[in-house]
Amino acid sequence: MTLKQGKNNGKYQVISIEAELKLERRLEALGLTEGTLVTILNNDKKGSLTAKFRGTRFALGKRIADHILVKEADM
Amino acid sequence: MADIINVGFIGNPNCGKTTLFNAFTGANLKVANWPGVTVEKKEGKARYEGQEFKLIDLPGIYSLSSYTMEETVSRECIMSDDVDVIVDVIDASSLERNLYLTLQLLELGKPVVLALNMMDIVEERGMEIDLHRLPEMLGTPAIPVSARKKTGLSILLHAIAHHKEYNAQGPFIHHHEGMKSSHRHNHHEEYAMVYEDYIEDKIDMIITALTKEYPETRNKRWHAIKLLEKDKTVTDAYPLSLDVVIDRSYEKDIINQKYDFIEEIISEVLVNKSAKEASTEKIDHYMTDKWLGLPIFLCIMALVFFLTFTIGDWLKGYFEIALEVFSGAVSGFLASIHTNAMLTSLIVDGIISGVGGILTFLPNIFILFLALAILEDSGYMARVAFVMDDIMSKLGLSGRAFLPLLLGFGCTVPAVMASRALEHKKDRFKTILVTPFMSCSARLPIYVLFSSMFFGKYAMLVCYSMYLLGIIMAIGTAYVLSKIDGSRADHALLIELPEYKSPNAHTIAIYVWQKIKDYLTKAGTVIFIASIIMWGILNFGPHGYVTDISKSFGSMIGKAVIPLFKPAGLGYWQIIVALIAGIAAKEVVVSSCSVLFGIQNITTKRGMDAMVATLSGLGFGAANAYALMTFCLLYIPCTATIATIHRELKSWKYTCGILLYQLLTAWIVSFLVYHIALLF
Repeated sequence: MTLKQGKNNGKYQVISIEAELKLERRLEALGLTEGTLVTILNNDKKGSLTAKFRGTRFALGKRIADHILVKEADM
Repeated sequence: MADIINVGFIGNPNCGKTTLFNAFTGANLKVANWPGVTVEKKEGKARYEGQEFKLIDLPGIYSLSSYTMEETVSRECIMSDDVDVIVDVIDASSLERNLYLTLQLLELGKPVVLALNMMDIVEERGMEIDLHRLPEMLGTPAIPVSARKKTGLSILLHAIAHHKEYNAQGPFIHHHEGMKSSHRHNHHEEYAMVYEDYIEDKIDMIITALTKEYPETRNKRWHAIKLLEKDKTVTDAYPLSLDVVIDRSYEKDIINQKYDFIEEIISEVLVNKSAKEASTEKIDHYMTDKWLGLPIFLCIMALVFFLTFTIGDWLKGYFEIALEVFSGAVSGFLASIHTNAMLTSLIVDGIISGVGGILTFLPNIFILFLALAILEDSGYMARVAFVMDDIMSKLGLSGRAFLPLLLGFGCTVPAVMASRALEHKKDRFKTILVTPFMSCSARLPIYVLFSSMFFGKYAMLVCYSMYLLGIIMAIGTAYVLSKIDGSRADHALLIELPEYKSPNAHTIAIYVWQKIKDYLTKAGTVIFIASIIMWGILNFGPHGYVTDISKSFGSMIGKAVIPLFKPAGLGYWQIIVALIAGIAAKEVVVSSCSVLFGIQNITTKRGMDAMVATLSGLGFGAANAYALMTFCLLYIPCTATIATIHRELKSWKYTCGILLYQLLTAWIVSFLVYHIALLF
């Protein structure tokens, strides 16, 4: 599943990031890499969502959220 | 201790770095929540017990890689001899994220002092940071500071001075309990960040090669790590034939292992983690809600507008009175010393009314930016980007572009300035291009005058239609542009939503002062010159100084271009001169009309009747009036805006391009509107 398909307050683990190199690098610099735990805060809208990872909240555009493959994290 | 110590301030965006820097230097630096705002290097000085420090403020960055301008600038500056000691400013309330940069900084091999900012937020959340264990694990001093309350500042300077000396004696030796490395060099005694063995082996091999090929290289470990990451800058500067060792980019491994180590630090250093739900999350529950987010934002903006235009206009009234008194006093004084009429006219009608008229907008600008600074500093602006992202991305603009557009209804100058919040140059250009289409408050007098003269009881409706037309033109332009340049809504919003905090008075004062100063100096100089030029055009003719405007160069120009304006229903030289004068400031169109048609008190009932009679005599009817309003809405913005656009884009080519586009749009739309209106 993609991060965009996740539920509010759900905890997910990143499997892979399928974005162009530049975007992938930006995400890496923010600490979003394979294996990172992401908590979705607000995914009510059709487009962007807010999520928390590595202790910081971020707003992520739809395209970014669509290209992050995740699985549900074991609690 | 006589030498000046050069200190580089570095840290993540939103960590309070610039606030801390300001607390030391009091320099007029802008504090903002978006990365890249301090991309220029800012310097300041500080003194502590006879020791002088030169402080350098570096851009807020998340990482020291070199993928963005900010990162490259920071990295180059910090590695150069300009920096003796690095102060890594850390937002203690999001330690995990901030430590990533810290680990990268430590690898540079320069003395690093950690400044733990925002400890109060940590406390508020019932968390504690082990200030003893953290320096132990990182091998570097960690000083709790409060940029907002100005505490810990001397201790930080003290630590900088001492750590500089300390480092000269050799590396800070530290030891991690329970971390066993089977590596033949026990790097845990030398470095805070030690990678897994397969990486360390490679690092050692690269260091050996570097020592052979480039013996002069300082800090070989850092270069080796960068080579292993296949960092472009370093790889180009130090070509090595080590394809066997560097068989792929190990960047991901290196990043992940850094974060593994950070997790370890956090588990040891952060006590009582996530004890309380952060209040930020509670606030965001409403602020970023699918349904509530937008109304809340609109309410906040409505309040900002209300304040700007009620309190602002109230103060503006006093400014206008003061200006009149001043202008009267100057004329009186000039008359008393028998200054000739021409010079008096230049000073009073040209300079004082031109520059003074602009100065009367200062209260509006002040209140608007005060409100915006509070919203920015509190952390709300980042939410706006999220709330507006979906709507704006349909227009091929980023969510952040909404704010400048909205501000455009107030005054185009701050609106164009606000476009600075946009990260991408293309976004900024598009936003600046369409912002002037939003009807600013200066255009309202034109609408009011002409709609009440020609449309009677429909006047209000006609006014509204102008606002609507502006919005349609702005949206249309943005939409068409995004189709042309193929930049479909990229939906690639990526923005940190910082912790909400109560705004800091010092930070806001500096922010607002910066804007006011900008407005006064740069825009002021342009308006000063423009006022003189306008005065010259309207008061000089082929035979020198004239008191009759119809004999001036202005009227000659107006008459010369009548054929150009005729198709748009604007073929009257007085109207054209008024429009040209309106470039100085849009309100001038109204005052110029009164001068050009020789009608006093044009805004009174009697004045309007006289004006309608005069205009009707010339064949200027309702359709012409509507075309004129349309033209005023869309044509070249005022000089202050032009100056601001140029300052933001730093290019005359683009600025002129924008002006040309707006002029053409104005003409075409007025033409269409005029001919459609003639059908009725």
